[in-house]
Amino acid sequence: MKSSLDVSLVFPLLVAGRLLLALTSLSDALKHNHQLSSPLTSYLNLQEGIYLFQNGIDPYSGGVFRHSPLFLSLFTTVLPRSRVISSIIWTLSDALGAWALVQIWRTRQRVAQTSRDGLIAAAYLLNPYIFLSTLALSTSTFENTFALLALMFAAKGAASPALLAAAFLLQISLSSVLLLAPLLLLIASSPISQLASPRPFAGNGKKIISLLIEFLVFTVVLTLASALVSGGWSWVPQTWGASLTLPDLTPNVGLWWYFFTEMFDHFRPFFLMVFSVHLLIYVAPVCIKFQYDPLFAAFILLGILGTFKSYPTMADPGLFLSVISVFPELYPYLRYPIVTTLLHLHAALLMPLFHHLWLNQGTANANFFYASTLVFACANGAALTDCIWAGLRIAIGEPQEGFVVVQE
Amino acid sequence: MLVVSFPHLLLFLFSWTWGILATTPSHEEIVGEFFNQNAHAGSSTSNHTNNWAVLVCSSRYWFNYRHMANALGMYRTVKRLGIPDSNIILMLADDAACNSRNRFPGSVYANPGRGLDLYGDNIEVDYRGYEVTVENFIRVLTGRMEPSVPRSKRLLTDARSNIFVYMTGHGGNEFLKFQDNEEISAFDIADAFEQMWQKKRYNEILFMIDTCQANTMYSKFYSPNILATGSAKLDQNSYSYENDNDIGVSVIDRFTHYILEYMEQINKTSHESMADLFASYDPAKIHSDPGVRADLFGRPLNEVRITDFFGGVSQVEVGNGGDGEARASPSGTTEEENSSSEERPAVAVNASQAQQKVAPPSRPAKWRMTRAWGGVLLLGVLVGWVGFKR
Amino acid sequence: MNALRARLRAQRADPNIVRIHRKQALVAVLTRRLHIIKITLFLVGYLWMAAIPSPRLGRGTYIDENALGPGQVNTYWNWGDVANADRYLEQLEGLRDNNATSEERADFLMTEFLKLGIPASTQNYVFTSSAGNVQGTNAYAVLSSPRTSGTEAMVISASWISRTGEGDGTLNLRGVSTVLALANFLKKYSLWAKDLVFVISDNYVDGMQAWLSAYHGAIQSNLQADELELASGVIWTALNIDYPGHSFSHLGIFHEGINGRLPNQDLLNSFQQISKWTGGVPVLVYDHQDSPQTDIPSWIPSAYHEEIRAYAYQSKNVLRHLGYQARGRGSGVHGLFHQFRIDAFTMFGLPATGPHGFHAIGRIVESTLRTTNNLLERLHASFFFYILTTPERFLKIGSFLPSAVLISVAMMFGGLRIWSDCAWIPDLSDKKEAGPDKWIQRSRPVIPVLGIMLSTYMLGVVLFSAITTSWFINNQTVASTLLLIVVSTIPLCALLIPSQDASRAAPISQLLKALNLCFASTVISIITVVNFSLAMSLAILLGIPLSISSPSKTLSLRLAKFAPYIGLALGWICASDELRKALWDWEILGVWFAPFVCIVYTPLVLQAGLVCLLPL
Repeated sequence: MKSSLDVSLVFPLLVAGRLLLALTSLSDALKHNHQLSSPLTSYLNLQEGIYLFQNGIDPYSGGVFRHSPLFLSLFTTVLPRSRVISSIIWTLSDALGAWALVQIWRTRQRVAQTSRDGLIAAAYLLNPYIFLSTLALSTSTFENTFALLALMFAAKGAASPALLAAAFLLQISLSSVLLLAPLLLLIASSPISQLASPRPFAGNGKKIISLLIEFLVFTVVLTLASALVSGGWSWVPQTWGASLTLPDLTPNVGLWWYFFTEMFDHFRPFFLMVFSVHLLIYVAPVCIKFQYDPLFAAFILLGILGTFKSYPTMADPGLFLSVISVFPELYPYLRYPIVTTLLHLHAALLMPLFHHLWLNQGTANANFFYASTLVFACANGAALTDCIWAGLRIAIGEPQEGFVVVQE
Repeated sequence: MLVVSFPHLLLFLFSWTWGILATTPSHEEIVGEFFNQNAHAGSSTSNHTNNWAVLVCSSRYWFNYRHMANALGMYRTVKRLGIPDSNIILMLADDAACNSRNRFPGSVYANPGRGLDLYGDNIEVDYRGYEVTVENFIRVLTGRMEPSVPRSKRLLTDARSNIFVYMTGHGGNEFLKFQDNEEISAFDIADAFEQMWQKKRYNEILFMIDTCQANTMYSKFYSPNILATGSAKLDQNSYSYENDNDIGVSVIDRFTHYILEYMEQINKTSHESMADLFASYDPAKIHSDPGVRADLFGRPLNEVRITDFFGGVSQVEVGNGGDGEARASPSGTTEEENSSSEERPAVAVNASQAQQKVAPPSRPAKWRMTRAWGGVLLLGVLVGWVGFKR
Repeated sequence: MNALRARLRAQRADPNIVRIHRKQALVAVLTRRLHIIKITLFLVGYLWMAAIPSPRLGRGTYIDENALGPGQVNTYWNWGDVANADRYLEQLEGLRDNNATSEERADFLMTEFLKLGIPASTQNYVFTSSAGNVQGTNAYAVLSSPRTSGTEAMVISASWISRTGEGDGTLNLRGVSTVLALANFLKKYSLWAKDLVFVISDNYVDGMQAWLSAYHGAIQSNLQADELELASGVIWTALNIDYPGHSFSHLGIFHEGINGRLPNQDLLNSFQQISKWTGGVPVLVYDHQDSPQTDIPSWIPSAYHEEIRAYAYQSKNVLRHLGYQARGRGSGVHGLFHQFRIDAFTMFGLPATGPHGFHAIGRIVESTLRTTNNLLERLHASFFFYILTTPERFLKIGSFLPSAVLISVAMMFGGLRIWSDCAWIPDLSDKKEAGPDKWIQRSRPVIPVLGIMLSTYMLGVVLFSAITTSWFINNQTVASTLLLIVVSTIPLCALLIPSQDASRAAPISQLLKALNLCFASTVISIITVVNFSLAMSLAILLGIPLSISSPSKTLSLRLAKFAPYIGLALGWICASDELRKALWDWEILGVWFAPFVCIVYTPLVLQAGLVCLLPL
């Protein structure tokens, strides 16, 4: 059983399977799906933007294209644009992400190879939330890959690549900047699991300033590159600004869109501020509490992003769920994994169903779909709180007879 | 523009000061006495010199045919009693006459027998369709108009104007829906009337409204000389009167129907008072409790003739010409001057912006591709540098 | 002072412990009573289902949409138009007697439409299916709205074959001649705000399926149909006229669409009002009359007789509704419209010797069209979930949906209970302590259980692909016996799985039962919003059987317990007629009932069977 999970065999097999799947016409059916790609990550919008760019129209002058200019430059020069090759690129990006996840696991365990490697690769490559998004050619695939690459390099102590990957991630997804704090801590300390023995931050704190400066330099260079490509700064409000001001209310799996369709206009700026700041307030507490294990802090922030960010797709919570596989020490302390699983099962079935009832069949309305996204948010929230609980609970040790650990 | 109006301004200033300083009251008194001789003894007449009507149907859609018919019924009545089209502002939110569902294209009827075509060929709708908005309605009342708005769309009233304001549509507690997407509140109308009073835009107002919970709509008024009546009290619906089985929808509302029925016996010289009209309300027939609010109104209702509001004025007051001008001027003209002076530069700016946008020729594809490649190169250099640094 | 502080501290410390104890006590009570809670939920759920036809649960129908204004118009359909319809009928009867082909019929209909000055055309189509090809020719005509741009349309349709006996071959000649005469009559009006599209579809349902697919540009791999030469706008409503007899006494409403979708209730309510007040024709749900219940036992107080009669009549309606909706088949040609978001129903003239005929149906259709012509926007989304118990009474979603959900919740509780029980086993090693049982934790091997579940679904997929082959359809008796044997023997492999040490890991059978119950519960509660009848049938078929599956020690007992599950899982293979129809529906109309049964329902029951087979 264990030997069959040997990564050198399993990994190519999984990638091959995924490539076969990518070559089917499934992606044509999925690319319109609102749950798998948001206005910020949709492949159709990307194609539109590239077309406009090639025909001499500023793609950011309309309200459709909200991808980073870096995508424009890559897809008009080095990357081919045919649908089939795109599918392959997207799948390979997933493979890279899976490889990075395996590397993170190995670094965390400080061994060159383990029997769980194959399982971890499978947890990423076979996660339906992730591979369906990839099939739908949502660019959230690249966000996930960059996030994993950044974490992997950081875990290995390779500061510059990690920061460069993080800078790329920032370019394509503004809200991912939340990951920066645990990432810097991770580079400055170690990825080894310290959950069972909490202690103050042991890494080199002074290094962080120089790391931050390096990150800023990368970001500035990439931003200038973006400005060069798009020939101005009009892309900033259209890409980064969009995730803060929510101009496109196309339904997605997140919690923002419905809230802001119902909102009176004069409350809108205030609540936009509240929602955006709400994401930020988690960073400091999580990083301080888990200063002894920044990888775990990053994992928790991934979960928060996947639940609360402005334009999430299925792939965002999917990344969080797949990364759970790197923390097997949590499993004995999870309180209600079956409830979380069932919630996810319900949400995963209800969302496409209510979406269909609302928009295709016409027998339901937006409230139905929103209710199902609430179930999805509950499922993500349950997974998140359970993981935080387990991460804290490990330190207290094995349950003792006659004692109960409760949270107050 | 300014140069042209300068002499006017001078003239205006001069006549105004002259009007103020003129110490010849005897002339006015003499004329006043002359006219008072002919007045009926004991009746307190309205001292208005012109009559206006603002008739609003605020709801659209075919099944609200009756609201169009309500407003058109009132239109016919006030016109019959002598208010000319130039003094009627008719706002119809939808065009029931030309709706494709109308079995009688170009006609609107308010009674099942279809005896009288209210639309006919002698009708002037001032605001129609999507022009009927809360904003436009308030602009009409308060007179704050864009300079480009033609005179036919303005309520050109003065301090001697009696105005009949009629509204119909779908409403609720202290609001009336406009066009299914916005609503006017009782406070909005009350404030608009107060503004009119301060600008001396009316002498007396009769406010009449036919909608659900209509009486709440006039509960917030606080300006003087307003007489108000509505079709239903709080938490009451206002009902439709009858269907026409060929048109296929209800053709008129009960309240309006019975008022119009009463008005049919009124002519230009009738002496019936508003009290008579209000006494004709029969809650049993109307199926709701109509209300009247007269506490803001100065005169006793039995001395207020219906024709004071529904009819054209048949009295003439010979006043001092300069005086009248002085009363009418301040609000209207200055407003227009201001808005026009603001408007001009704005247009110019827009034009120059548009020119700027068009001016640079679309950049050649080569430059665009260079930029794209430049971006890739920069990325490549960055990745390469980071890769080799280790 | 110190004492006070100490007491304060004590008070501050206490509440936490008190709260923990309280929480523990609550959980303990709940877990101890879980069994009773579960049984109560089952009981309430099933009783609720039984109460659905009760006249006390429903409420009277009403019109929700203001714009409709049903029955507020004079109708001008007159005896002259009836005479026209009669003339068309004579010609159609001539065609019937000459055994005219589909093309000849369609050409005749097209010519008649063209004679009226209405643009008309025909459409040939061929469906290929494993049961053989189906072909035919539709005729249709588009009367453009005289005063609008024609972006919206209403359909008036009749199929060549009536729905009598679900398309047993009775011809719908009077329905077709009504449509023709109506086309002649309605073109005189200038008040249509939507285009009128007249469709005479060939055969029973396949003609309309071909026409609708072509109209909406839907691609169906096994359909070859001509493109439509005439186009119109978005179709909002469709009235399907089915008038097979010589005269009719009642008009029956058939409303269930394919895959469980229902039309907006406002449409049915408007029709019901119009038929009653304008046409003077009583309305039924479906085509059975309220037969007077004869034998109510005399010991029941007479005050209840009326209610029992009402219950009996309404339960007949509800059962028919269940039958149509659960199988996803739809109750007529109108059902096909629903897949394209068009509200449609069939008015069925219940064959009788009198008193109504062309005169009544023409007036009713005229008035109904005036009503649907008034529509300005889509009918409201809240009016799609209902059960029509009589033409004038219905159940709102809140008064029937919870019944199935309660049962699914009961199953979920059962599954979760077993799941949590699996993690613990009483420690039997040190029995000498007299105190409460000590419990030790054990692992729950989920992966093999998921493997077993997955393999049952794979088996379902294989089963489905087997029954959709033409070989199966052509040799149905042999093939179904063979399949039955094969599918019921494969699970017997589970007998080979050795028993495990129960103190280390939970038995697979228990885990399988836990996950099976949880998954079945999820399926039921999610299906409720798509197709309540199907969810209710699942709740009845799965609720108790899945909850009582249990492993046993002896082989014979295991097999004996397994057998009924096989019957429940695969019994439908023996219903050859039903099966053939369901497969035809799947291939031609895209009704997903057949794959659902094979891929979701059968595996769920098989899993319960496996629970019985697996070692303790």
